[in-house]
Amino acid sequence: MYTAGACNTKQIGPCCHIFELQEKCRFLLSKPVVACYRHLASYVGGCTDSLQLRDELRQTREKALTLAVSICNHLTSHLRNKSLPEGQRKEMELLWVAFSSSLELLHVDMCKVFNISDIFSLANTDALVQTGLQGGGSEVAARALSLPDLNLAPNPTLSAGLESQERSTMEQEISQMDHMIDDMEMKVNVMRWMVEPHGPQYAEVLSSSDSASLALLSVDEEQPGHQPPCQRSHIHVLLLLFAVVLVAATLSVCIIFFT
Amino acid sequence: MSLITVLSPMTSHFQARSFGSMLVALGYIYPLQDHKRLVIKPDASLYRFQTPYFWPTQQWPVEDTDYAIYLAKRNIRKKGILELHEQEHYNRLHKWMNHKWDFIVMQAKEQYRAAKERKKPDRVVFDCQERAYWVVHRPPPGTVSAMDYGLDRLIDPNADEVTGESLLVKYCATYNSHDPFLSKCLPSNPWLTDDVTYWTLNMPYVEMPTKMRVERWTFSFAELLSDPRGRNDFRLFLKKEFSGENLAFWESCEDLKWGEAATMSEKAEHIYKTFLARGAPRWINIDGKTMEITVKGLKHPHRYVLDAAQTHIYMLMKKDSYGRYQKSPVFKETVKKAICPEEHHFTDAQLEQNAKKRRPSLSPIILRQMEQEQRAKMAATVDITQLCRFTTPVPHLAVYSGITDFPSANASPSLPFLAHSPACPSPISVALDSTSASERRVEAGEGEGEGNPAAQAAAGGNVSKSRMALSLHRLLKRGCTPATMFASLSPKCHSAAGTSSRIQPISPDQPSQAPPRRIGNFFQIKVDIPPECRIYPIESEDEDEENRAASRGGVGAKEIICPWESLTPQNGTG
Repeated sequence: MYTAGACNTKQIGPCCHIFELQEKCRFLLSKPVVACYRHLASYVGGCTDSLQLRDELRQTREKALTLAVSICNHLTSHLRNKSLPEGQRKEMELLWVAFSSSLELLHVDMCKVFNISDIFSLANTDALVQTGLQGGGSEVAARALSLPDLNLAPNPTLSAGLESQERSTMEQEISQMDHMIDDMEMKVNVMRWMVEPHGPQYAEVLSSSDSASLALLSVDEEQPGHQPPCQRSHIHVLLLLFAVVLVAATLSVCIIFFT
Repeated sequence: MSLITVLSPMTSHFQARSFGSMLVALGYIYPLQDHKRLVIKPDASLYRFQTPYFWPTQQWPVEDTDYAIYLAKRNIRKKGILELHEQEHYNRLHKWMNHKWDFIVMQAKEQYRAAKERKKPDRVVFDCQERAYWVVHRPPPGTVSAMDYGLDRLIDPNADEVTGESLLVKYCATYNSHDPFLSKCLPSNPWLTDDVTYWTLNMPYVEMPTKMRVERWTFSFAELLSDPRGRNDFRLFLKKEFSGENLAFWESCEDLKWGEAATMSEKAEHIYKTFLARGAPRWINIDGKTMEITVKGLKHPHRYVLDAAQTHIYMLMKKDSYGRYQKSPVFKETVKKAICPEEHHFTDAQLEQNAKKRRPSLSPIILRQMEQEQRAKMAATVDITQLCRFTTPVPHLAVYSGITDFPSANASPSLPFLAHSPACPSPISVALDSTSASERRVEAGEGEGEGNPAAQAAAGGNVSKSRMALSLHRLLKRGCTPATMFASLSPKCHSAAGTSSRIQPISPDQPSQAPPRRIGNFFQIKVDIPPECRIYPIESEDEDEENRAASRGGVGAKEIICPWESLTPQNGTG
């Protein structure tokens, strides 16, 4: 989902302008924590499942939850504010819908991970499914936590206590998420069908900068990949031309020699 | 990557293959090459295990939101070139989940970028996994799955062969080529190719049936009767053989069994009067014991009161007429004219075209109207040479040609019928003109009181119906009189009836002049009635017409008394 970054909830005081708040929310919402969590979840139970992966999952989850709590508080308080002007209310509702959808996604993923880690205990590594993957999820986790690199100290050996502790923590987190979703629904009545999105129907890939705004650029990320083949073909043609010119030069030289 | 191998604990290669097919179809493993065909191929093609996140074990709901995100991601990856069904899904989801669309697009981009963080081979693997997951849960059109029909379909290898059940084996052998699952469906299965020729060729009342359908009629009598086109054919044959009343009786019994409860007793009474009573116009031949049971049951009519008689007639038709039907020229001609459609061979492009041209079929309301029109047409063209022209067959025929709504069918089918038979209208139109006079006559003419209350009550009960129906009904009662003499089953009498049916136009003023006792003369024809027509020596066989008329005049209106009516003076049912 959406990392807290350097922003701290306590720093946002009531004196912030609504608009800035919206921008902040949007910024927060544009972070890829939920997406990364899903990628990490797909590793669970496979042959690359490891303690490290579980740890990464845990960290991502915690991050996600803190984020969720802060955004939830923001949005709830502002949407309950009756004096909000219409345009801004619509914006907030849009953000609300996006936020609640991502919360639901995260909740589902968390439940799935909980179930799978139940079945595929790390104590029995032979039972892990050979999915054909090679690498772990470290890079993805790093992206999720917005850290350039993840330097995790290797975990101590797996013990039964560790697993059950993890399970109970996860259960708590899931129930916390549940409550949050319920709370949100209770406190604010957003009519989802009234919300109209801004964005286009088809997504196009942005450039690789993380902090890109919602405005879509038409630069396709894949295009740099196309350059080498084009350049290669150009080079081939040039070489051919050069060879032809060379041959012509030698021939003319020969002619001059023999005449 | 892992190759699928024959699972050695399985007891047979076949079992292993079945189990493997099930695994692929459910999504636990997926093929690498031909990813849209979820089958296990016996060659060396490669399969891979699906990651537990995508397993169907826990039966987590497959969300449309996830599918939308997947499609958006795919759109990014393929730069806007999605497959047709994916495009359609995408548009549909965009319409239905419009409020979430910003979120979906955003999430798709995030997931796409997160995937880029992974190493290339892992990214490919994950793409394959996701694609396989969605092939299982949102299959593209034309996906072959091992759980579907076809040669590779899943059958329980442990199921016992059904042995020693020769009937079942025989049934299977007979119907094997007619089963659309087991053998090809000509011209093509509409569910597969979206081409509805098969359905239009096999409509219930189609003019020219297909060869397969005609072949099915030869399998058993029940098949013939259950197919409406077959029944029509059989009716035609019976008409030529002059034994159509059997089928008519059977149909009317079916009508009684499956019809509305409100009109049940009326129907039962009519059936009795038309088919079973002594001297009925379309008398059927059932043995004495069955007749006894039926008559006894008709005192308290219920839905299944005519079951015994119906079964008797059914067996009669099956043993006798059915065999002759199959050798008859009617059937042979039908077989000759039956069409055998060519098999369709559609290319993929044509299949897509067909899919686009799909239209909903006719609404059931229209179908029902068509059926009713069909029945009306059939009622109108019922051959009346079987019956005496002096009966007013119209209300009966309306019912027994299959129209289910009993009272309302009286008026409409009668008119086209009347138009067809120029001879008949006269007495009926006369009756219409002189309803009041006839009313008086009916009331006056009941000397012997037995049938009186019945007729009167019946007459009274008819007041609520339309005038025409009223008069027709009364005419029916009166018409029963000469029917006893003229109704005939044997061909001999047909010609006789035919000749004698040159009804002299009865002058309108004749009825009013006739004394009450001359009710019978209403239909009196000034031709001699050949003696062989008197099949029903129920009344005294007086040569004297007057006497006959006289006796009948008294008994006339109550000629066909339903036995239960005699017991209950109050007969509310008309």
